Amino acid sequence: MRMWLATTMLCLPGVATAQSVAPDLVASSAQGDLSVTIYNNNLALIQDTRQLALPRGRSRQEFADVSAQIRPETVTLTAAGAGIVEQNFDYDLLSPETLMNKSVGQSVTLVRTNPATGAETREAARVLANNGGTIVQVGNRIEILDSNAGRVVFPSLPANLRARPTLSVTLDSANAGTRPATLNYLSRGLGWKADYVALFDEKAGKLDVQGWVTLTNTTGTTFNAAKTLLVAGAVGTVDGGNRPRFYGGRGTPGPRGNQPGTEAARREQLGDFYLYPLAERTTIANAQTKQVSFLDVAGAPAAKTYFYRSPWLQKLDEAVSVDTVLRFSSSREGGLGDALPAGTVRVYMRDARGAPQFIGESEIPHTPMGSKLALKTGEAFDVKILPVVEKRERISGERWRTTMRYTLTNARAQGVTVELAQAGLDGWWHDTKITDESQPSTRVDADEAVWQVAIPANGTASVTATFDTRF
Amino acid sequence: MRRVLRWMVALLVGALASAATAQTVSPAPDRVAVTIYRAPRRAPDQAIDRAWLQGYALITEQRRVTIPAGRTTLRFEGVAAGILPESAIVTGLPKGVREKNLDADLLSPRSLYAGSFGRPVTIRRTIARRIVEEEAILRSGPDGAAILQTRDGFIAADCAPSQDALVYNRVPPTLAAKLTLSVELDSPAAASVTVTLSYLAWGFDWQANYVATLRPDGQSADLLAWVTLASSDTTSFANAETMVVAGAVKREDSAPNPAWNVPDESLTFRCFAQPIVAAPAMVFAPPPPAPAPAPMEMDVVVTGTRLRRAMVQQEDLGDLKLYRVPDRTTVAALAQKQVALLDRAAVPVSIVYVSTVDSNGDADAPRITLRLRNRTDQGLGVPLPAGPVALFQPRGDTALLIGEGAIADKAVGEEVEAGVAEATQVTIESTNPESGKGWEAYRLTARNANPYPVRFEARFAGEDLPRMARMTETLTRKDGKAVWSVEIPANGSRSFSYRIKDRD
Repeated sequence: MRMWLATTMLCLPGVATAQSVAPDLVASSAQGDLSVTIYNNNLALIQDTRQLALPRGRSRQEFADVSAQIRPETVTLTAAGAGIVEQNFDYDLLSPETLMNKSVGQSVTLVRTNPATGAETREAARVLANNGGTIVQVGNRIEILDSNAGRVVFPSLPANLRARPTLSVTLDSANAGTRPATLNYLSRGLGWKADYVALFDEKAGKLDVQGWVTLTNTTGTTFNAAKTLLVAGAVGTVDGGNRPRFYGGRGTPGPRGNQPGTEAARREQLGDFYLYPLAERTTIANAQTKQVSFLDVAGAPAAKTYFYRSPWLQKLDEAVSVDTVLRFSSSREGGLGDALPAGTVRVYMRDARGAPQFIGESEIPHTPMGSKLALKTGEAFDVKILPVVEKRERISGERWRTTMRYTLTNARAQGVTVELAQAGLDGWWHDTKITDESQPSTRVDADEAVWQVAIPANGTASVTATFDTRF
Repeated sequence: MRRVLRWMVALLVGALASAATAQTVSPAPDRVAVTIYRAPRRAPDQAIDRAWLQGYALITEQRRVTIPAGRTTLRFEGVAAGILPESAIVTGLPKGVREKNLDADLLSPRSLYAGSFGRPVTIRRTIARRIVEEEAILRSGPDGAAILQTRDGFIAADCAPSQDALVYNRVPPTLAAKLTLSVELDSPAAASVTVTLSYLAWGFDWQANYVATLRPDGQSADLLAWVTLASSDTTSFANAETMVVAGAVKREDSAPNPAWNVPDESLTFRCFAQPIVAAPAMVFAPPPPAPAPAPMEMDVVVTGTRLRRAMVQQEDLGDLKLYRVPDRTTVAALAQKQVALLDRAAVPVSIVYVSTVDSNGDADAPRITLRLRNRTDQGLGVPLPAGPVALFQPRGDTALLIGEGAIADKAVGEEVEAGVAEATQVTIESTNPESGKGWEAYRLTARNANPYPVRFEARFAGEDLPRMARMTETLTRKDGKAVWSVEIPANGSRSFSYRIKDRD
């Protein structure tokens, strides 16, 4: 078998050399020295330095094993002593249909098998046309090729049909010789985010946090032994990136108490972005999810609080659970002491037997060092609130008086404090006033009033407030 | 013999892998704990969808492994198929973890073809019951399958009278049979350690199921509750410490539908542009059988008498409630299981017929509602996780179903109500006997066709109360609503008339 393969190669030099058979058992790759820089928004910059043996003058070089999701318009190639004549990205795929299309006018061999004896006969044929059916000429006979006609054997493959999309560059070299050539391109299909494992000890008020970068490769290509750099940021691209924004300010869905910090982390920066280089070269296999540690902090102070935000005029039939919020900081003093790339924080607590159990997760945006974080992890089974509209009446042409009652219950054995926010005080109208309330509120902004409601253990508390509004 | 074979296979696998690092395989966990969380957005009255379980589980495994000194890849086999790789935590290794990998490039007809590009294969032709083999080299990608180079030239496989199949001589080294989680280690010395691996996985769900059986007095009921848990994962967790968590846990993403996003891993041999072929003789094959339902094992654990029933044990987990199944049990693949949650005899309850009245005087048909107080002095006083409630009434020796409702998570001290059925013997009629400038008068008549008295409640929105006048009955305030609560005598009726001012 080896014998005839070798013979085939000799007979068909043009076809066989570029796509030679790999004799080893290990998947070989045409990739050279790889550097991969991965951004958060499904984008990577790939630098691939290969040794190119260039003849003097013009030559066409094919680059196999580039990312299958390459953005071919972003390719640049630099090779010492060689100029680029043109770059091509060919994606005319080799298939039985395209092969027959390109063989119109060419000669093929028809191999027919006698079903009774198994004897094969060979006839030369010419492909006349392939329009919704293949017409061949065998000697003086014109036939429509059907699958009973026999096996069609093509003498060669058309040069521009490819098994997979192929990048090729035509170079003009001043002299012959092998030299390093660096291929740079952008690719889709590579991205990363951070994942945090936070173990919360409620009694001690401490949080242990491990941070992992999680990179995913869906390009369809494996990157071998790549020097890998992760950029914490979504670089601007024409087709846009979408990045979670910092929860804070008004009209935001999250709990109150998030505030971006102003400290600089001791990490390498590039422009506005933090860089996370991986310590060693790594192979990023196709369809792989890879995690590498970047943060390990033990015993950062943290506290659990309760929060509920009631939309304007909300009345419920049944009491609902308030949010459980985990508060901590990313500052150097009394915090995690690092900038936190965007990702998901998963919070665990130990059960009665000491095994960590999952209690909820929350996404965070890119978080500078020194930030205050207040992350909702879930809702409290035992702490509930029932907001009702007690009274609502028109007091003049356009002014209304609304009395809200919020009944809070606590089935826990300890007293708790719930931060209760009434939102929607500054919708399309203005000058909302609280004319009467059972305990003082803080008007944290035009839209929200906040009460700190203490509920005794196994007890109930209620807040009433009368709002004078334009609607 | 078998051992030798396995050793040879291991050797071969070792040779296939990139040969740089040693490999240690942990085939299965030694001890496993499974904590199941309810589907995040499933309403209390929404049934578990066994075809698409949208809850998840935290799986904690203990594995005893022996790792060599130096660089090693430690592969964990037998993890849940629904694993979220980004949630994996590995502890107990002597010198930490360099990186964790989840490889999902699986061996399939398509990937086998793609990974054999440029490599020798054998074409096996079957023509007229004769099999002929020929050596060839793969020359196309899987989207252009299959073009092969033979001794004669280039051919398209399966595009001639013969039936062709490809025979490969190896598996591409990077392709794995199943999703595999592995960690890269760097150990200073060989060691035998116990590794704890934990991760979240989609494809689980659980709920509480309540069965209330009324006592003949109608004033109390026997309350029985089950934890119903289900797994749609293909991995079984045998002899597992099993827990469920009640309460709302925040998740940022949701369970993928197993019927979607399945990559097409099949391989199709294509042929030249539509050749003209003789139409094959029409054969009317019987329609394919309907797909068999997924094999679901219904494993209902019912043990002994009331006192001996194995009951889950509840503990607080932060602001959530954790229930521990007392004995180790198997969380089987594609299976549902029930364990007792609660068993209380003669809990005081009341049956109330509840109707809601809107500000236009329209009243809903009364619903039969089971009401109880979740308090210790009322025979209960335990957290009640969300789930359906079935109400039974005794009839001779048996009990018949009256209706089914559902409750949300209920804490200790709360009032619990479940509307279980629309009443047929208790009715409400609303009439509008007169109206005037800026007001309407309504008259509600509640009738009871039962030979026994019933408790009836009509509920009005609390903010309607200031506009109501000339009421013939006194309303009470409860949870923001105004309530007309009345006992209707056996085969009797009661009425309530009022005026309501038009809204400004």
